[in-house]
Amino acid sequence: MIGDVFAYLVFFLVIALTYALACLGLNLQWGFTGLFNVGVAGFVAVGAYTSAILTAPANPERLGGVAWPIAAGWVGAALATGAVALGVGLVTMRFRHDYLAISTFGIAVTIQLLATNLVGLTGGPFGIHGVPRPFADVVASPLGRNVVYLVVVVVLVGAVYAGLERLVRSPWGRVLRGLREDEAAAAALGKSPATFRLQAFTIGAMVMGLAGAVYAHFVGFVAPEDFLPILTFQVWTMLVVGGAGNNRGAVVGALVVWALWSASGGALAAILPHALQARGAALQTVLIGAGLAAVLLVRPRGLCGEETVVSPHAVAE
Amino acid sequence: MGGHLTVGGDLTVTSATLTVRDLVAGYERGLPIVRGVSLEVARGEILALLGPNGAGKSTLVRAIARLVPIESGRVLLDGVDVTARPAHRLVRDGVGLVPQTENVFTHMTVEDHLALAAAAVERKERRARIAAVYELFPDLAAQRRLAAGRLSGGQRQMVALARALVPAPRVLLLDEPSAGLAPRLVEAILARLRDARALGVTIVLVEQNTRAALAVADRGCVLVEGRLRLVAAASELAGNAEVARLYLGSSEAAR
Amino acid sequence: MIGLQDVANGVMLGATIGLGAVGLTLTYSILGFANFAHGELITGGAYAALTLFWLLAATVGWGVGHFGALSFGAPFLVVLAAAMLLTAALAIGLEQALFRPLRRRGTQIVLVIASFGASLALRSLITFVWGPEPQYYTREISIAREVLPGVRVTADQLFVLALTTGLMLALHLLLTRTTLGRAMRAASENPALLALTGIDPAAVARWTCLIGGGLAAVAGVFLGLTVQVRPLLGFELLLPLFAAVILGGVGSVYGALAGSLVIGLAEALSVPLVGAEYRAAVAFVVLLAVLVIRPAGIAGGRE
Repeated sequence: MIGDVFAYLVFFLVIALTYALACLGLNLQWGFTGLFNVGVAGFVAVGAYTSAILTAPANPERLGGVAWPIAAGWVGAALATGAVALGVGLVTMRFRHDYLAISTFGIAVTIQLLATNLVGLTGGPFGIHGVPRPFADVVASPLGRNVVYLVVVVVLVGAVYAGLERLVRSPWGRVLRGLREDEAAAAALGKSPATFRLQAFTIGAMVMGLAGAVYAHFVGFVAPEDFLPILTFQVWTMLVVGGAGNNRGAVVGALVVWALWSASGGALAAILPHALQARGAALQTVLIGAGLAAVLLVRPRGLCGEETVVSPHAVAE
Repeated sequence: MGGHLTVGGDLTVTSATLTVRDLVAGYERGLPIVRGVSLEVARGEILALLGPNGAGKSTLVRAIARLVPIESGRVLLDGVDVTARPAHRLVRDGVGLVPQTENVFTHMTVEDHLALAAAAVERKERRARIAAVYELFPDLAAQRRLAAGRLSGGQRQMVALARALVPAPRVLLLDEPSAGLAPRLVEAILARLRDARALGVTIVLVEQNTRAALAVADRGCVLVEGRLRLVAAASELAGNAEVARLYLGSSEAAR
Repeated sequence: MIGLQDVANGVMLGATIGLGAVGLTLTYSILGFANFAHGELITGGAYAALTLFWLLAATVGWGVGHFGALSFGAPFLVVLAAAMLLTAALAIGLEQALFRPLRRRGTQIVLVIASFGASLALRSLITFVWGPEPQYYTREISIAREVLPGVRVTADQLFVLALTTGLMLALHLLLTRTTLGRAMRAASENPALLALTGIDPAAVARWTCLIGGGLAAVAGVFLGLTVQVRPLLGFELLLPLFAAVILGGVGSVYGALAGSLVIGLAEALSVPLVGAEYRAAVAFVVLLAVLVIRPAGIAGGRE
């Protein structure tokens, strides 16, 4: 019994921390730089697929089979996602907020289309199987492997967290924050806003790609349905609940929202009659959606975030 | 020194069309720009609202029209408390504001503007009101099919003013109508204001151009840093050393 | 090879996208944000009609009906009108309950996130209630006839085209001749000034939701009629809708129509080239091109 709880906890934490990674990436893009990325799922997908392609065993119907070590896969994932972000960013960094949102949404849709249809690269709708686990040959039991994975993920999230914290407190980070407050002033200082934004966008995306890789190697396979808009929504909810602009908020938000998500899933499974079980997942989304709306209305700064300032020119209604 | 200088004119209640009492207003709660202003404007009077940049003149009239949130204080229209009413409702109650900037819809024709303003008027009066306004602004009648964006700055001001006059307001608030206009056009605007007053409209005129404002106003008041410092008949204020001192004495650049 | 049939398909697609895009461009400019839930208004309309048919069949025993060559009859039109009202109600409900309170508190971005969440929640709710499988209004099939050499269209499609034209004409008259129409045009430029003119911007917003929702419902019902009813119906149109709206210039009804035609044609004409699977990607490429070259769109000037 305790063993079951422990096993579940390990599983829960691995997934929650993977989400936390994606959330940290989004926080750099949105919380610190004000970039409205509605295509999170796409970037996570790029990372997941890249690592899978680089490390999975050969398959005659699909490109790959290079069977690189996992670490190399993860590095490749981050780099590939960074490259995609750079390409996207060069085109979109000057767009205004809502156009950026629509564009990043379009990117994610396009990436999903490519993942589903470029069968020779991505395995199509069936995806890629046999994505290897680290230390798979060293540890025998499934639980043991999960625990090892958890340790790896904790270390990784810790490292990324520390790195991002360093980054935002560095001179580079200060410029970024200055840009968010007053773009004209920053530009007057000779700093090109677009360049800084592009850098933040790319680094944030790389972290998201890493999250994708971490997910892929935990679950053992990737398929297009793992990277739907709901993933984007989950990560955004986590960031809003935790508090944007705050790395601690990103991690806390991921843990809290994933806990709520899992709990609601369990509750629905218990309540719903058997015939409706399959549809229950849909109801989870409704609940979480309502929850997000509630947070936005009642406490927009989230659990850890700073007080937001209402626009001084709000028209009285 | 400070305080009110009242010369002629009784500042007690009743007959005033527009009454403002201890008004505190600003865009952000806790950061008021208007800090407790009280004034009264009699029927058919033109009151000039003067003061240096940043004094809060614009904010005051915008607050009266409810575009800026009121923190405390009251606004009374012919004795009726209208403080809580939303901006669009005030128009139907008889308050019109001509803002300083963005005061026309650039994609809509002159005709559209007047038709839109006429929606606040009773159906059977609409045609008459629009015709009356065209009489006051014959140039606009000739340009009625033109989009406001195609008109010159002076003509746009006329459209903005005409639009505000369609519902025959009791009180007309103007935020620097002469800003950016050549002297000839300033004269034209002021002439329209005199016409409006002749029709019984009460006017509050915010102006940086003190001379022009006092030329047409009955009374004037000087606002400095959100507070009224001087209220007097226009003739008393023109060339008044006290006024000049109030302008120069404030921390903003004076005119 | 690209043929006239592709062009005809493109025009049909353009009409359907147009119904959604016109509503979206109005709400985008008047309500002031990009509403990601607009796709679900389309889907909602389709499912509202589905449910109403089911109710009619179960209670009164009505079928879809049959007007000559069309695959539907009078009951369908009744259901269509009812679906329009229900979807309009949904749109107004979202505005009042979600967007209005959020608008006071924050920036446009919060509204977009909320709309994205609402879109997801609605889609999931629809999947929960009706299930993920495709459904149909009628088993009747509308036969495709050759109207021009090499061009086959069904009577249903011609009806859609005719109705869309009629609706757009009605909208044109509304916008140019009525107070509401003028108020809507004014609100899309400057809501504060509209309030100074004596008209309540919030009321205009509600009417805009009503019109946007109604038009979306028509799009949804006709997609349901000519293709099928399924939960992703509207969501898959979202990218083409945004592309059409931005191409035409946000706030311009005529721009949205022109943009929809362009997108519809681009998608249909690209099918022989890149395959049907990448249609949404074609819309996306057009969108990016517009944003890079001329973000104000065709009708331009109204940002």
